[in-house]
Amino acid sequence: MSGLLYKNFRLNLSSMIFSLVTAFACCLTMILVCLFSYPLRGVKAGPDDIQSLSLGFFACYFLAFWLPSMASSSLFSVDENRTCWAFAMSLPQGAKGHVEAKYYYLLAQNIVIMFIVFICDTVSCGMLGGAGNNTIFIIFAFSVCIFLTAIEVPFMIRFGSERGVAIKGAVVAGVIILAFLYLLFGDISWVFSDEDPIVALMNWLQSGDIIFWLGLFPYFSIAAYYISFRISVKLFRKGAESYEQ
Amino acid sequence: MSSEKKITLLRLAIFLVIAFLPFCIIVPVMWSYFGEPIYASTNEAAAVPVYILGVFGMMTPSLANLLTRLITKEGFGRSYLGFKTKGKIGYYAASVIVPIAYSAIACVLIWAFFLNGISFSDTFTGSGLQTAGIFMLQLISSVMIFFPAFGEEWGWRGYMMPKLFELMPKPAAIVVGGIIWGLWHAPLTIAGHNFGVDYPGYPFAGIGLMCLMCIFMNGFLTLLTKKTGSVYPAAFVHSLNNNMSAGVMFMLFGSEAANERVGRLSSTKAFIPYLAVLAVIFIISMVLLMKKRADN
Repeated sequence: MSGLLYKNFRLNLSSMIFSLVTAFACCLTMILVCLFSYPLRGVKAGPDDIQSLSLGFFACYFLAFWLPSMASSSLFSVDENRTCWAFAMSLPQGAKGHVEAKYYYLLAQNIVIMFIVFICDTVSCGMLGGAGNNTIFIIFAFSVCIFLTAIEVPFMIRFGSERGVAIKGAVVAGVIILAFLYLLFGDISWVFSDEDPIVALMNWLQSGDIIFWLGLFPYFSIAAYYISFRISVKLFRKGAESYEQ
Repeated sequence: MSSEKKITLLRLAIFLVIAFLPFCIIVPVMWSYFGEPIYASTNEAAAVPVYILGVFGMMTPSLANLLTRLITKEGFGRSYLGFKTKGKIGYYAASVIVPIAYSAIACVLIWAFFLNGISFSDTFTGSGLQTAGIFMLQLISSVMIFFPAFGEEWGWRGYMMPKLFELMPKPAAIVVGGIIWGLWHAPLTIAGHNFGVDYPGYPFAGIGLMCLMCIFMNGFLTLLTKKTGSVYPAAFVHSLNNNMSAGVMFMLFGSEAANERVGRLSSTKAFIPYLAVLAVIFIISMVLLMKKRADN
């Protein structure tokens, strides 16, 4: 397994560097925003400031996870030929080991990003006077990324990396369209019932049963990642058999 | 003493010096700068460095492991960084279930010993989807504590304990390792971490309790590390222990009145039920550790 992981790492070194650079850039942005807004001005962040900053943190952390995942197709595109499939099937670990290594690689990449984001959050939380911990946002951004990877990978294995990316894009576009439809036609009076929409959004997220579904989502995405892996192994075997014919 | 044991002792000494030094220097410097115990400080300016020190300080044992291996040219064999679940899934499951279970039992013990006059149903009122949601979020947020927890575990369980096992029998190694780990926390304990500064017997009672807790925890964490050949389960336990402690569980599920009564308890007194549960875990862990020796 370590050999296969190393192979993936070597073949995708550029995308790994891209992941690290984008994660660092996103985190640095938030650290600089915090630094120039509060400690350097000698101002102490109040609860309202922290709540307003939360949206910025969420956006930056989400981008830190999201941008590297855009390059994940390169992990699969390098193996998309008959020779590579035959090589994977001939390995002692077989198709399972080959696919497993890719899933571990993607998970490891996300964990490395989570570590960078965690350091950023610790530093920025310190600069905000020990308040404004965004652990939940980080977990949520990580879960969304894992969930989208779980959807994308089986399609990449079955139909190729290009179509896999297209399907992932379609899923994301579908979610965005649904969100827009809700904003256009749904009941959004709760956003305008408060003076600050961000504060209202935060209050809504923390109220009622919505927190239960939010709490359930990370576990759901982890389960989806595992199920996706099992499906991908089956699809890979099926694909390899058809290549052999 | 054989030359191999001398080398092990030297490596262990280098590791401990590197692991102990940061807290022994930084905590007194910060204390003198702010003019009071930093973890019990009312100074708002102290909150920032204290928070950062807490998180990054946990990573010093890992740094010590890394530096010792480089300085002594030991290499990275037996680094306990592998991840094999085959036949060991029970230990991985235990690393998640056991910390939650012992924190929950400690909560019940706190109610039984210290909350006379409040019924069980009046004490633990937290139920419903909202509480379940908060519990699940709190549980999953332990993933973030995993990084600093790994920082400690790769040092203590991934380096110190194997070295101690080379130098002495298993039970002695567990006790000595626990005391060393507890004493590593001493600068923080004196500065008010864990127990504050206004408890009877400050600071020695706090340091003693911390050492006792570390001995008990060390038994369980070493068992997991040895059985799985990996420090990750121990890091899971450590992160859950810090993030899902009895105090946190009580805040989640306890009523306002019960939390107020618990808040009035001395920090060392409230710690005893938790220690009692850990003692049971320790005994079971030691039996399992010794059982392996009997099998061999």
